[in-house]
Amino acid sequence: MNDHHPENVVPLELHGVTKLFGNFRAVDDVSFSLPAGAIYGFLGPNGAGKTTTIRMILEIIKPTSGSISVLGHASALKVRQRIGYLPEEKGLYKKMKNWAVIAYFATLKGMNRKAAKQRAFELLERYGLKDFANQPTEALSKGMGQKVQMLASIAHDPEFVILDEPFSGLDPVNQQVMEDIIRDMAKRGRTVLFSTHVMQHAERLCDRILLLAKGRKIFDGTVGEAKQTIPRRVRVETEDDIAPLRELSGVVLVRQLETTNSVTVPTTAAHWELELRDHADPQAILQTCFARGIRLRSFNQSEPTLHEVFMRLVGPDAKEATFR
Amino acid sequence: MKYIWLVAWREYAENAKTKGFWLGMLLVPAIIFFSAQVPIWLQKKGTPVRHYVLVDQSDTLAAVVEARLERAHQKRVLGELTDYVRKHGTATNAAPMPSLDQFMSQGGATNYLEKLQSRLKPDAPPFKPPRRDFQSAPLPAGLSKDANFATLVEKLRPYLRGEAKIEVNGQRVPLSAAILIPRDIEKQIVRPPDKSPRPTNSAAGIEYWSGNLADNQLRDEVEQSVNMEIRRREYLSRGLDAAAIREVEQTYAPFASLNPKKEAGQEAVKSVDVIKQWMPSAFVYLLWVSIFAIVQMLLTNIVEEKSNRIIEVLLSSVTPGELMMGKLVGIGAVGLTMVGSWILALFAILIWKSGEAASVTGPLLAVLQSSPLIPMFSVYFLFGFVMYAALILALGSVCNTLKEAQSYMGVITMLMMVPLMTMTFIPKDPNGVLARVLSWIPIYTPFIMMNRVMADPPWFDLVGTAVLLLVTTAGALWMAAKVFRVGILRTGQPPRILEMLRWLRR
Repeated sequence: MNDHHPENVVPLELHGVTKLFGNFRAVDDVSFSLPAGAIYGFLGPNGAGKTTTIRMILEIIKPTSGSISVLGHASALKVRQRIGYLPEEKGLYKKMKNWAVIAYFATLKGMNRKAAKQRAFELLERYGLKDFANQPTEALSKGMGQKVQMLASIAHDPEFVILDEPFSGLDPVNQQVMEDIIRDMAKRGRTVLFSTHVMQHAERLCDRILLLAKGRKIFDGTVGEAKQTIPRRVRVETEDDIAPLRELSGVVLVRQLETTNSVTVPTTAAHWELELRDHADPQAILQTCFARGIRLRSFNQSEPTLHEVFMRLVGPDAKEATFR
Repeated sequence: MKYIWLVAWREYAENAKTKGFWLGMLLVPAIIFFSAQVPIWLQKKGTPVRHYVLVDQSDTLAAVVEARLERAHQKRVLGELTDYVRKHGTATNAAPMPSLDQFMSQGGATNYLEKLQSRLKPDAPPFKPPRRDFQSAPLPAGLSKDANFATLVEKLRPYLRGEAKIEVNGQRVPLSAAILIPRDIEKQIVRPPDKSPRPTNSAAGIEYWSGNLADNQLRDEVEQSVNMEIRRREYLSRGLDAAAIREVEQTYAPFASLNPKKEAGQEAVKSVDVIKQWMPSAFVYLLWVSIFAIVQMLLTNIVEEKSNRIIEVLLSSVTPGELMMGKLVGIGAVGLTMVGSWILALFAILIWKSGEAASVTGPLLAVLQSSPLIPMFSVYFLFGFVMYAALILALGSVCNTLKEAQSYMGVITMLMMVPLMTMTFIPKDPNGVLARVLSWIPIYTPFIMMNRVMADPPWFDLVGTAVLLLVTTAGALWMAAKVFRVGILRTGQPPRILEMLRWLRR
């Protein structure tokens, strides 16, 4: 049904987009653009402005200022048949049959009734919900209902899909199914923008991420680039004094970590985290340990996780937002 | 436009699947049907023959009571016979039916049917006379009618309580009543100049025993026949001519209701005119019930959708305006289907019934067919519905729960009560001040004008209020669209009025 060439069009471009609710700046001067065919993670703490941004992209609400272009059009409604959307707050018509809900949303996206019905049954079968096709949606568990809603939002095979918190409320098995659906779409050249605050999903799935906090864009780039925003770190575990390591030129900061994982083996060893200067060689630390007789129980040179990047970039705001 | 139809179609299809829809659709015709049919059934089959024991120790009144009951029965026979002749007689030779007295004196149904044979259609089924309502039963064996009342009552009690059956013509049947007339009934008659209080210690006079308190028919027949007879004797004993008195009682001055608005020669007020005057009220009620029912449906629908969060997915596919119009059209169509089916059912039942009890249904049907009631109803339903629906959609879009919405709905309900409360006053003075003033209040226009439609309202009122209604409906729709657009995505506290006014300016 799609005779467009997704690769030729920039799926999404935001330019200086701001949204005010009264005096509250929900979204503050956000600009970014999405490459076609990518899986794009839209991250940020609660209340960061993710859903508001998504609603503006879909033209459900209008930005106070700035411009948005979706699939090359200034109005998402003009290209609504080529967009799929799964909102954060999931809901289905309780009394409607599962196939009928999927088919209805597909017809709203321009499919004809017959094709939409056929497609609904096809999708339900592919994702293991065939037996529920003729049952009302209220008969489904929450996770299954969410799957049905996901299928409803992609039934018309859109070029550009926006998923607001697609993983919330799903068990690990269904989270995997959801990841598979997203990867499938990307493989077929579709562009996916999904918001989440579960960093593992973003880390596994995303080509690029966009980090939002307090309505402002904090980071926009690949996952690799995100990880480089925080210093490389080395973790060591030892009973000895680590003073010599502090003096190394490559070490910026030494921090003692709380030992939490030594319940089974009582130990006096302490855990330390050393932050390194850019381009510093972790091997130098190991060599110094040997040379100065620091006996290591463990030495761990690890990449920062996206979680750490997130915590660091968002900082106290994340906590503040969580407790709001 | 396409999206409006898609939304409307879903609303229609989903609502048409609900039990409520079918109940609503079938209930009203069922009520109309049963209210027309049940009394007939009850008369024909429902009530069994009721057996009574009549003990007249004075031996002076039993014959009178029996004669009265027989006369009542013959009256029904004659009625059925009249229907029978209308159905099966040849139309060319419709002789007038005899009066009851003639009928009874000439030998009743049997004799009459013999005379009628030649005038019946060849395929006419035989006439089935109606069953008797009341049938006399003899006293149970071993019980003398001269026993004292206490004994009689004690012996009859098991029969009256349904614990025993009494034997009538070889069949054992339940006894429904016992009438006991004392020997000295003559002494117990109360005569007006005598102000002395009646003895209260004993159940003096005639005793009517029956477990069925709801059915007073037999009691009334007995009481009336006895009293008529006693009065007749009283006339005699005072030397008055009973026949003369009866004649005097039947004298009257002819009295005619005339309508000055009618053409000369047509002024007589017929049942059609009365129906014409009151029929609009029935339509006002129908209008009110249907608008109110559908508007309630709309409110529930929109609030549920909002609290279900489906709205957001929809809004990525349709604009709020399309969604609102879709709902309006879809649910409006549901309502129209319902009301349409009611009116069709009403017509069907009237046409079907108009042959039988022609006194009411015939003119009713004639009025419906010849008057602008149905077209005007359609117009006022349409505008009334759209206007109220717009208000309700705006209201529903700012409420998060049904509870919240219903507290606002309470206010609207109160406002909507006015046309119902004035419903019966308007036809009495359809072009009076109250009617005219209320007609110009747009939210009441459909109901009040509907009520005035048959009373030739001034053209100025008819057209003026229609224009005002149209403008108000358009305005309500415009306002609703504005509020709906903002309100539909809003969560948390419902907005204040001032805030909503600000939305209108956007």
